[in-house]
Amino acid sequence: MTLGQIIALFMGSVFVQNFIFSRFLGLCPYVGVSKDTPSAMGMGFAVVFVMTMASAVTWGLYRYVLIPFDLTYLKIVAFILVIASFVQFVEMFLKKAFPALHRSLGIYLPLITTNCAVLGVAFLNITQFETESYGFAKSTLQGFFAGIGFMLAMLIMSGIREKLEYAEIPEAMKGLAIVFITAGLISIAFLGFSGFKL
Amino acid sequence: MGQEETNNTGYFKELSKGFIRENPIFILCLGLCPTLAVSNLVENAFGMGIAFFFVLLCSNITISLVQKLIPDEVRIPCFIVIIAAFVTVASLLMQWLIPDVYARMSLYINLIVVNCIILGRAEAFASKNNVFRSALDAVGMGVGFTASLFIISAIREVTGFGTFLGFRLIPENIKPITIMILAPGAFFTIGFLMALFNLIRIKKGKVSK
Amino acid sequence: MLKDKHLTVTVSPHIKTSLTTERMMWIVSAALIPAAGAGIYFFGPHAALVIAVCVGASIITELFCAVLMKKPATIKDGSAFLTGLLLALCLPPEFPLWMCALGSFFSIAVSKFAFGGLGHNIFNPALAGRAFLMGAFAKEMTTWKTLQDFPDGITAATPLNLLKEQGYDSLMKVFDSHSHLFKELFIGRVGGSIGETSAALLIIGGLILIFARVTTWHIPVSYILTVIIVSYFTGGLFDIPFHLFTGGLMLGAFFMATDPVTSPITPKGQIIFGIGCGLFTMLIRIRGGYPEGVCYAILLMNSVTPLIERFSKTRIFGVKR
Repeated sequence: MTLGQIIALFMGSVFVQNFIFSRFLGLCPYVGVSKDTPSAMGMGFAVVFVMTMASAVTWGLYRYVLIPFDLTYLKIVAFILVIASFVQFVEMFLKKAFPALHRSLGIYLPLITTNCAVLGVAFLNITQFETESYGFAKSTLQGFFAGIGFMLAMLIMSGIREKLEYAEIPEAMKGLAIVFITAGLISIAFLGFSGFKL
Repeated sequence: MGQEETNNTGYFKELSKGFIRENPIFILCLGLCPTLAVSNLVENAFGMGIAFFFVLLCSNITISLVQKLIPDEVRIPCFIVIIAAFVTVASLLMQWLIPDVYARMSLYINLIVVNCIILGRAEAFASKNNVFRSALDAVGMGVGFTASLFIISAIREVTGFGTFLGFRLIPENIKPITIMILAPGAFFTIGFLMALFNLIRIKKGKVSK
Repeated sequence: MLKDKHLTVTVSPHIKTSLTTERMMWIVSAALIPAAGAGIYFFGPHAALVIAVCVGASIITELFCAVLMKKPATIKDGSAFLTGLLLALCLPPEFPLWMCALGSFFSIAVSKFAFGGLGHNIFNPALAGRAFLMGAFAKEMTTWKTLQDFPDGITAATPLNLLKEQGYDSLMKVFDSHSHLFKELFIGRVGGSIGETSAALLIIGGLILIFARVTTWHIPVSYILTVIIVSYFTGGLFDIPFHLFTGGLMLGAFFMATDPVTSPITPKGQIIFGIGCGLFTMLIRIRGGYPEGVCYAILLMNSVTPLIERFSKTRIFGVKR
């Protein structure tokens, strides 16, 4: 893999096709946990970690188990089980090995099982990189960068929502309505990255 | 959510709560990812709505049937496997029946498996109620979801393409507002519809006071 | 925190100083008049219509929203006038009028009043309106007027467009020499948006703002310096004046990025903001799908302004306030 390909993957996953602003994946935790910056950061780190590992594991599973045994129709069941048990495993491991990290990420980890961004990147990886060379590396990197993009989106939104606490928002716009309008405006700004040549 | 009462009254309530009172999208704010992603065309929205309806109905019925057999500690993984099985069925059926719609949105069809509405109904309703009530609940929620998706996609397709289900509504010489079918349009549409729901609730609250 | 007394003007919607919001808005508007006049002179009467419709629609929307939200109507503070004027200045001269009105409506109603009105908006309303129109009517937004002074119709595309689509050689073919190109760019006799073409008049307006202490130097200087450095390292010496004087850079750096509501309060934060604007502008100009990146760069930095403020205030990363 060349450096150019890595930069292209980075720009693509973080800016051009940001998981929140362009692909609409992972919106539930996005609107749910972006009320303040520390928890947005915690959720962001947890998602980066799980997405990277889950991309690696699911790609390997698909390429070396499901395809050889002609079981690709089982991919939905297989992936969701792998991700769920992986999240469980990560939680147990963190609890034993890094209790401090577990305390800060702990509450976000169970939520990630049903974060569609994680499963979404797994499906994207197998459709995009199924036959390509370096598929494993590309999938893992795409998972990592998509997680970074998700975290960036979380941080931007949490900063804005903290500021909006002091704004005189009209009664009807309060709550999630203004969050979606804000997300729309950020996604307009992200349109500036469309058509990137790399 | 009033699920303690198991007498025969309130069946209609069970059915209708998903329409407006507990509308999954605008009030409960669940299952937003597919809502935003596939609502640029009414056709896509219908495909999504039907697949969603199918999975919700089947999983609610199945889970309420087998609720006694599942040990409490592993119920969530079991629910997920049941849902995943029906998503696989739905996905294969769509691939066979409407291949071109499926090709456009296969990712989001597969992702129904992690849709919070379905898992949420399984956990909060189907695992505690009988088959008939669970089916009613699924129909209500499914109709609520599909109708909401239909409204969003109708707004976006008419303003963004000038068409409705492919038929031209707005004459060619008035330029459609293309941004409505892009990502920002989805956010704006759902944001303003939520504001509208809020407004109705505020007005109602004032009247009842 | 506010060591320098003059800096207090940057939080003007919240703190009362001798320089009120109202005066500030009208000074900014006045500083834009020369550039707007040049736009009308170069591009003809339709440009004047675009400006009139944008300003009118903005004021009507502002009145409508104020009545709807039962707030006192704030036409006199000039913010709606300024938003309309700024939006018009970054639209093409031949832009259809109903689209102008729609863009103004979006600017005022969605990006300002949905957030609670002036002082609460996260994004610069004029830029949000422009980006909305760009997404909505991409073709109309990139249809430029041919200037009569050039019989061979060379300025049908903006210089940035020409560079992006046909490369450097065709640009040189059109303008013969570097000095000729830079002179035309500086005066503003090139294709482009109504108020963006005349770099000279925009710089004069910007200097008025800085000397009237309506804005501080931090954002424009850091923004422009970043563009100079990046264009030197990516293109060379001749790219510097080209990137400085084309597109909306001068308008953006002096009049839009400095919007006190949507940019950081602290000088340190403002410098970070300016550098970010410069980097994103050049990234989109060089690599992006659009020829011009000023609008998107400032909007992107608007969205991270709360984070910049947060992290340029606290010393320890992640500690709660």
